[in-house]
Amino acid sequence: MNASLLNLEIWVIALGLVLMLADFWMPLERKRFLGYAAAAALAMLLVTNLGVCATGTAFSGMFVEDGLAVFFKRFFLVAAILVLFMSVEFSDRLTAGISEYYSLIVFALSGMLFAASANNFAMLFVSIELITVTFYVLTSFQRGRLVSLEAGVKYLILGALSSAFMVYGIALVWGTTGKLNFNELASVASQFADNKIFLFGMVLVLAGLGFKIAAFPFQIWAPDVYQGAPTPTTAFLAVGSKAAGFVLLLRVLFTAIPSVTAHWANPLIIISGITILYGNLCAIPQQNLKRLLGYSSIAHAGYLLLGVAALSASGQAAILYYLSGYLFTVLGAFTVICLVMRHLDSENISALAGLNQRSPLLATTMTLAMVSLAGIPPLAGFFGKFLLLKAVIQQAQVTGNHGYYCLTFTALAGVVISLYYYGGVIRAIYWSKDAPADLSPIMLSGPAKVAIAICIAGMFWIGLFPNVMVNLANEAVKALAR
Amino acid sequence: MNLEALPWLILFLPLLAATVIPLFTLRCRTTSALLSIGAIVTGFVLTVVFIANNGWTPTPSELTTNWLSIGNLNIDFGLKLDALSLMMMLIVTGVGGAIHIYSFGYMREDRGFSRFFACLSLFTFSMLGIVLANNFIQLFIFWELVGVSSYLLIGFWFEKPSAADAAKKAFFTNRLGDFGFLLGILVVWTALGSLNFSTLQQTLIANPAALGTIASIAGLLIFCGAMGKSAQFPLHVWLPDAMEGPTPVSALIHAATMVAAGVYMLCRIIFLLDPTALHVIAWIGGFTALLSALIAIQQNDIKRILAYSTLSQLGYMVMAVGLSGPTPAMFHLTTHAFFKALLFLGAGSVIIALHHEQDIWKMGGLRKKMPVTFWTFLIGALALCGVPPFSGFYSKDAILAQAWHTHNYPLFAVAAFVAVLTTFYMFRLFFVAFVGEPKTKEASHAHESPGVMIWPLRLLAVFALVGGFIGISNIILKHYFDSGLIKFTPLSYRTWETYVSDDPSSPYWLNYFNGLLDSGLRFLFKIPMMHKILEPFLDSPAASFIGLGAVAIGFILARSLYRNAASDPLPAKLGGFATAMKNRFYFDEIYEATFIRAHDFIATVMDWIDRWLVDWGGIGLVRGGTDFSGRALRLMQTGNLQTYAFLFALGVAVVLWFVLGK
Repeated sequence: MNASLLNLEIWVIALGLVLMLADFWMPLERKRFLGYAAAAALAMLLVTNLGVCATGTAFSGMFVEDGLAVFFKRFFLVAAILVLFMSVEFSDRLTAGISEYYSLIVFALSGMLFAASANNFAMLFVSIELITVTFYVLTSFQRGRLVSLEAGVKYLILGALSSAFMVYGIALVWGTTGKLNFNELASVASQFADNKIFLFGMVLVLAGLGFKIAAFPFQIWAPDVYQGAPTPTTAFLAVGSKAAGFVLLLRVLFTAIPSVTAHWANPLIIISGITILYGNLCAIPQQNLKRLLGYSSIAHAGYLLLGVAALSASGQAAILYYLSGYLFTVLGAFTVICLVMRHLDSENISALAGLNQRSPLLATTMTLAMVSLAGIPPLAGFFGKFLLLKAVIQQAQVTGNHGYYCLTFTALAGVVISLYYYGGVIRAIYWSKDAPADLSPIMLSGPAKVAIAICIAGMFWIGLFPNVMVNLANEAVKALAR
Repeated sequence: MNLEALPWLILFLPLLAATVIPLFTLRCRTTSALLSIGAIVTGFVLTVVFIANNGWTPTPSELTTNWLSIGNLNIDFGLKLDALSLMMMLIVTGVGGAIHIYSFGYMREDRGFSRFFACLSLFTFSMLGIVLANNFIQLFIFWELVGVSSYLLIGFWFEKPSAADAAKKAFFTNRLGDFGFLLGILVVWTALGSLNFSTLQQTLIANPAALGTIASIAGLLIFCGAMGKSAQFPLHVWLPDAMEGPTPVSALIHAATMVAAGVYMLCRIIFLLDPTALHVIAWIGGFTALLSALIAIQQNDIKRILAYSTLSQLGYMVMAVGLSGPTPAMFHLTTHAFFKALLFLGAGSVIIALHHEQDIWKMGGLRKKMPVTFWTFLIGALALCGVPPFSGFYSKDAILAQAWHTHNYPLFAVAAFVAVLTTFYMFRLFFVAFVGEPKTKEASHAHESPGVMIWPLRLLAVFALVGGFIGISNIILKHYFDSGLIKFTPLSYRTWETYVSDDPSSPYWLNYFNGLLDSGLRFLFKIPMMHKILEPFLDSPAASFIGLGAVAIGFILARSLYRNAASDPLPAKLGGFATAMKNRFYFDEIYEATFIRAHDFIATVMDWIDRWLVDWGGIGLVRGGTDFSGRALRLMQTGNLQTYAFLFALGVAVVLWFVLGK
């Protein structure tokens, strides 16, 4: 066994424990700065991790460190750093336990890191539970707010339901095949391609993963939880949890049961298409910004599923590319929400009115984030959608499946619809009809500016110089086809 | 030393300034200005360093980086580095740098100070992008970016309706030209399969008929772009209105650099233009030169006179290109950048001193009050008129000589007549605005501008004086000669010694005349530079002497009419023609009555179709349907946990049925 592969995870968990311990000694008024310390520690881990390229497996193949795992681990680290920055800004709205909040974020991160390396159904289940259970607490952390508690309860019950389906599915898979390891399963999966019990189990597992990524028909929890949860939690949920769902989905579909997945083009096409339409259509009448982004995240899960439905390496690479751009875009948007809505109870879009006068930087960031989400060049979102659609159309030409063309048009229609509500956010910032109630300038702390600058730079860098990220993504997905 | 990073740095430093200023330093005025000035001045220094190290023909002559490649789609971003682009870089960063510094004084009191510098830097970036582009696509992208920054700067004082309208007019007029330009690019791409300048040049040199029958059309379509940007007839109407922008903008963008981009582009792609296209280009250039010189005579706004003069000089350059003389065109572009920027900055200095008075009939007697502005303006005026040894003489002479040597005597006559007009309107301006008695109270209370505005004037005045004989034309000539685009032996390559070994094609009296010069003036050539200073008289004596005569006629006319004149005597003498000139030959009115009216009519019809058929019938139904389905779907989201759990289980069941049920 090669335990040194787990160095990163061990350090991250140690960091979480240290944060909890530090709570005892840190004076109350300084506790919020622990977030910066945690972010700095994660940044150091990220930098040291950049140089390491050890690959291999540990725990008799349960844990795998390969290109895909490394890509996603760096992704999660970046996301956690930006979320920690956001949490420090948010800390004045938490009545107590800010250092616990930080350490829970770090524990959730460790769950995502394990998810990136999971190569076994047991590992998959444990890492997902580690993420989800931490998120139950993170979601209901604003104990004084009813909506936060409500969101926590909903997430808990529906999450438990999906976990139940998943663990039942895993049991069925194990019962029929006797394999839990993805690579071992791959070698026998083709024999079970017609075994209904096996397929039943697989569908239940995928339903659990579908819950994580908020794909139709398992998306129902997303808007309520996104709206009620504290903003940094929502952000981490939208980026980290979703990406963890996708890395597991990729591993299950393309490493564990590729021979079965090959027959699933049509279900995947349908799920992807409906998810896109559902997310975009429901977003239209929304007034609450976080709820809007909740629906938007459903729509984006649909776009990302285009890459899954394409059943090709270029589609998988496009998912990785798209997620990287999505990371900076969504975290930029949530950072702005976190900073603007600080003293407001409502999180309505109309509260953004006059933002360009209150803080041009925040207004610009929000605009860029919306533009990128809508997929307008030269920002990251455009090129990501381009790559996803390209993969789908290529697959359509290879297989001659007309469903792919329908899916392409559905995705394009979704983009058009989304322009409407993303544009609505921008309109609220610059051309609001109601006179804004509050025009006092918003003061930004230095670290908040840094976080925003990172998000903007990320959006532009990935959009303008796609080559680097495309190459990284292409390298990473090679690990899937082992 | 190769220094490959320098061109990238030079190109992107202004972009950096243009991004940093609006994002971070909008409220720190001085920091913004210093960032912008720093970016362009550093660019200038780096350009000089680059040229000093690599010479005018660096190797490799192109720096390319793969911008993105997906499958077979490769998009390169490349920089072209040759004498042509390096020369333009020097102009853009050098003259531009002087104007940036000048703006620091000129815009001092303006509210949008930081915004101004951000726009200037954006312009510098885009302009350098045009200059350095190694392919049509990149050129076009930066071409449009230049259009945007020009729009932003013309409409800088957007509270003034006239400025906002002028910005719009400039933008639309340019779009018209760019439409043709884009079509031209597409035609070239379809026909030759490449848009890289070097590849195109090699293809066309190897097979001159590669473009086949569409050669002239392609050339003329591409010329449309230059017609818009360099404001050639009939798209010339936007440039005078563009003077609504701040004066440094007029100097930098609408005199020295951007409007020259069209000429530069033509010089860059001269190999694409076939004789028919060149012929049309030459005549359009000549006609523009004549038309705008005539209009300039009856303008009273100091900036508008200079604007029409710019049009007229651009006409000269375009005419030179059309006479297959990219060398004189580029040469004139360079010297024109010096002296026209100088004239505009001088005018700006006057305008500021007179509290934004631009009517020359309300000036007068500025010689004592503003000595530096007076003398530098005089130098600029002499250069523009073409008095030796000022720079304008050499470049204008080169154009006249080009017309003479290509035996295009009608255009030669036009050019010579325009030279008369040029001197006439410039000295009309000069006598009325600077000489004589102050005509208003403001004029008598004027005082000299501060040092930050004066020093750029002095600097530009030096170049306006010496720019003609410091070897600029040789560098350009060598570039074209080396690339095989000029077939005949370049005249300026002759030394004094080879000169007397006669050109058999010259008429005998010319040789005789040269002989006279040779015997009488040989001693002059002992003086350094003197060879360069007298070169035009030796190369093309006819053109030079006719040019000089034109200047003399113009000067005498202007002096007799306007010295001590309190009002314009010309309308009385010319009658209706003067009114026509004053009203710019009614081009705006004609366009208003025809194109804009027709456009309005079509727009009304389209508006009706759009409003009722497309918007209501098409979009309205689709939008309503989408909106309705969105609201209906939202009802699923009841907030009720039991419902959610039920829907979740139902979803699983549906998927199971779908996957297993069949």
